[in-house]
Amino acid sequence: MDTPSPSHYEFPILGRAYFLGGRAATSIKRVLAEAGVEPDLAQRVCVACYEAEMNVVLHARSGYLAVDIFPDRVEVTVQDRGPGIADVEQAMTPGWSSASEEARSLGFGAGMGLPNIREQADEMRLESAPGEGASLHLVFYREAGNGRQA
Amino acid sequence: MAITVKEAVQHLGLEVRTGERNLEAVITGAQVSDLLSHVMATGKAGHFWITNQSHANIVAVAALARLSAVLVAAGFEPEEEAVIRAEEENIPLLTSAESAYTLAGRLYELGVR
Repeated sequence: MDTPSPSHYEFPILGRAYFLGGRAATSIKRVLAEAGVEPDLAQRVCVACYEAEMNVVLHARSGYLAVDIFPDRVEVTVQDRGPGIADVEQAMTPGWSSASEEARSLGFGAGMGLPNIREQADEMRLESAPGEGASLHLVFYREAGNGRQA
Repeated sequence: MAITVKEAVQHLGLEVRTGERNLEAVITGAQVSDLLSHVMATGKAGHFWITNQSHANIVAVAALARLSAVLVAAGFEPEEEAVIRAEEENIPLLTSAESAYTLAGRLYELGVR
C-alpha cells in the first residue's frame, strides 16, 4: 500500500444515538472543504459517510468513521462493534432492511443505505460476519476518468 | 421560473425558524419525502424538501445534500435539537400548518419543478 495519508481524520459513532446521527458526516464535510476536495466529489463522500454512519447508529453499539485524503483519491473506512451482517449480498439488496420499527418510524430503514453507498463510491468493500461487527472500505477518485465513468 | 426560498416563504406563508441569512438561495427543485435515505439518494443541491419528519437528522440530510431549505409540514414541531443544528449549519428550517400535499401543490403553482 501507499505511504500513510498526510490527512487522516477519525470520528467516533455512538450506537442508538439517533439524534447525534450525521455528526460524523457533517464533520467530514468540513474537513473535505478545508482540504480543497472538489465540491461534487465531497458531496458523494458525504452522502456515503452519512449512510454508513447511520448504519452504525441503527445497528451497532459503537463504531468509528475514518477518512484519508490523498492527492488523487479519498478513502473512507467505517468499522463497528455490532451484530454483524449474516448475508452481505442480501443486505445490499435495495429495499431490504433489518432496522427496528422505531427506526423506520423516524424515516430510516428504507433499505437504501448500502445501495446509496455503492452508487456514490468508486470502490466498495463490505466485510462482516455474525457477531463480529462490520467493516466498510470505500474509495473515491478525485480525477475524472480514474475509476468512475462519467 | 426560478424562485428563492424567501419568495416561497412569502407566497406560502411559512414560518422561518432558522437560517434567516440563507433565504436568498434559489430553489432548484423540490421533493416531498419522509424517507431520509431517499432524500440523500435523489436530493440535488438547492432542492427544497417538504417532510413530516421533525427530528435532528433532517438537518444533517439537508446540510450534506446541500438542500436550499427544509419545510416541516402539517403542524409538526421541529425538535429542539433539530433547531439547534439548523442554526449551526445555517439551514433554513421552515414550518407550516398546511399538509405536505397542499404545500407541494402551491410550490408547483409557483413554478418550482
